[in-house]
Amino acid sequence: MARFIVRRTIFLLATLFAVSVLAFVMPYFGEGDPARMILRARMGGELALDPAVVEAVRRQFGLDQPIPIQYLRWLEAAVTGDFGQSFTNRQPVGGIVLRALGVSFLLALAALVLATIIAVPLGILAALRSGGRRDSVIVTLTQGLVALPEYWLAPLGMLVFALWLGWLPAAGWTSPISVILPASVLCLRPLAYLLGVTRASMITVLESPYITAARSRGLSQFLTLRRHGLKNAMVPVMTLFSIWLAGTLGGSVVIEVIFNIPGLGRVMYEAVVNADMPVVQAGVLATVGLAIVINTLTDIGYAALNPAILVGESNG
Amino acid sequence: MAEVGGAMARPLVSSLSVGARIRRFHWAFIVGGTFFVLVCVLLVLTPWIAPYDPADQDLLNRLAAPSGEHLFGTDHLGRDIFSRILQGGRFSVSIAAIAVLITGVTGTLLGAISARVGGILDDLLMRLVDALLAFPEVLIALFLVFVLGPGYGTLIVALSISGWTPFARLTRAVTLEINTRGYIEAAEALGCSRMFIIFRHVLPNAIGPVLAQGFLRFGHQLITVGDLSYLGLGVQRPESDWGAMLAEAQLYMIRAPWLVIVPGFAIFLTALSVTLAGHGLRQSLGRRPPRLLGAIPAKDEPAT
Repeated sequence: MARFIVRRTIFLLATLFAVSVLAFVMPYFGEGDPARMILRARMGGELALDPAVVEAVRRQFGLDQPIPIQYLRWLEAAVTGDFGQSFTNRQPVGGIVLRALGVSFLLALAALVLATIIAVPLGILAALRSGGRRDSVIVTLTQGLVALPEYWLAPLGMLVFALWLGWLPAAGWTSPISVILPASVLCLRPLAYLLGVTRASMITVLESPYITAARSRGLSQFLTLRRHGLKNAMVPVMTLFSIWLAGTLGGSVVIEVIFNIPGLGRVMYEAVVNADMPVVQAGVLATVGLAIVINTLTDIGYAALNPAILVGESNG
Repeated sequence: MAEVGGAMARPLVSSLSVGARIRRFHWAFIVGGTFFVLVCVLLVLTPWIAPYDPADQDLLNRLAAPSGEHLFGTDHLGRDIFSRILQGGRFSVSIAAIAVLITGVTGTLLGAISARVGGILDDLLMRLVDALLAFPEVLIALFLVFVLGPGYGTLIVALSISGWTPFARLTRAVTLEINTRGYIEAAEALGCSRMFIIFRHVLPNAIGPVLAQGFLRFGHQLITVGDLSYLGLGVQRPESDWGAMLAEAQLYMIRAPWLVIVPGFAIFLTALSVTLAGHGLRQSLGRRPPRLLGAIPAKDEPAT
């Protein structure tokens, strides 16, 4: 177990390092000179730039140094949480990203909890009589959910529930009620996947000998499920939950843009549109880094619950 | 992980001929597949069947409701929505198709090679797959747009970076199972080259599940293309695709709700048809080796 954790941690650090290099270096391969990009972002448009000003900005930001040196400087500051200033509003990037990450995390958590609450009972219902009519109705409806684009449901939901019925606020992030609409739209796709995994894992569990044994001891189906089935069936569901949580953190860009939610997705989107390089770099590092950390923790947790994984690990 | 402890001992390849297998298709494959073929035919024939030029403006007749003259109404510039849906679909569907082809071929080959070669290569590749699993797709695309600028090519690259991983996982699982077969041992004993074994023995067995996965991924990619175009990061004006049409329509949503309903419905129906086709194909295959299908719950593994 200890060896497993050490291996995963080393891999985690290596990936984080690779991501930080990519996040920092990639923008330099794009079109345009960073110094000009900074000026454009500050002034908000194409202007005839004075070469002397460009040169001054280049020196001020250390852009005349070789890229590896710039990277080390950036990393040195980044480790202490200093990611520089935003090109557009000159606020510290660390603060911007951290605040936005909090909002995105809440939104993702709300959507996934909602998805789990609906998916798990339905998945169990489908698994109890797998192959039956109820099962095939649930499975087919799930396929429909996977095919629903969020950026279509979101405007339609806004139109119906906010503008026509007036039940919910159309957009913004002011009261707890404003979470409802975006979270409901965002929960549908994870719901479909969570349901699929709950069903598959429940079917496997129901076929295992210990369930038959419990039933033959005279335990009712409900009690068998509660005492023996659920816990085992939930392990893959929890794994998928955290994978989705990690993926949704930065993946809800379109929902955040539509509903005007100040989360990381929208911050990144605006940073890209405005060529705000420090925000893009820190945002990529934060989202991907957090996603990798969550996945590593999931892996370790999974191995702790299911030591069989470790056997495969040392062989492979 | 999802279907642990299935019937390991069941034969991988049934004695049925390919034709006999095709005849046993699930209804979902037939319905979804037929609809998808219909969509493709419509999109290919667009230049001949579109009732109006998709770029033709008619400012006197803007935001017109659906009628006999304009099947789905007109947009804020008086352009015919039906013609624009057809024209836009050519972009949306072709980008998704190219991305699925690229990722399907590379992912399948990498997965097969990884499982056949094993060792450090396999270990590294699977770690890479794990790492990419954590990358939110739209975020990668945002980053690429920042670096490369928006457009058709950027979209395809963005969709391909992490899109190959489900194929690699699937083919790897199938190959590991095939590795234990007697005929592989026989081929090795005869001195067949690694590539020969992969192409002659491994890939033909993997093709069914990979095809099913391809359909499911196609639906996913179609939605992601729309997502990026909606954000204005995909197809650029004056060209337009379903996602970009949706974004444009949102400004006129209250006056002309059909502007929002129609393009979204086009994405939904097309994505649904391929998802059904993939699901049905997987079910039909599932009657053979249930152990191989849907065994790996990844983020974009479809619900079965």
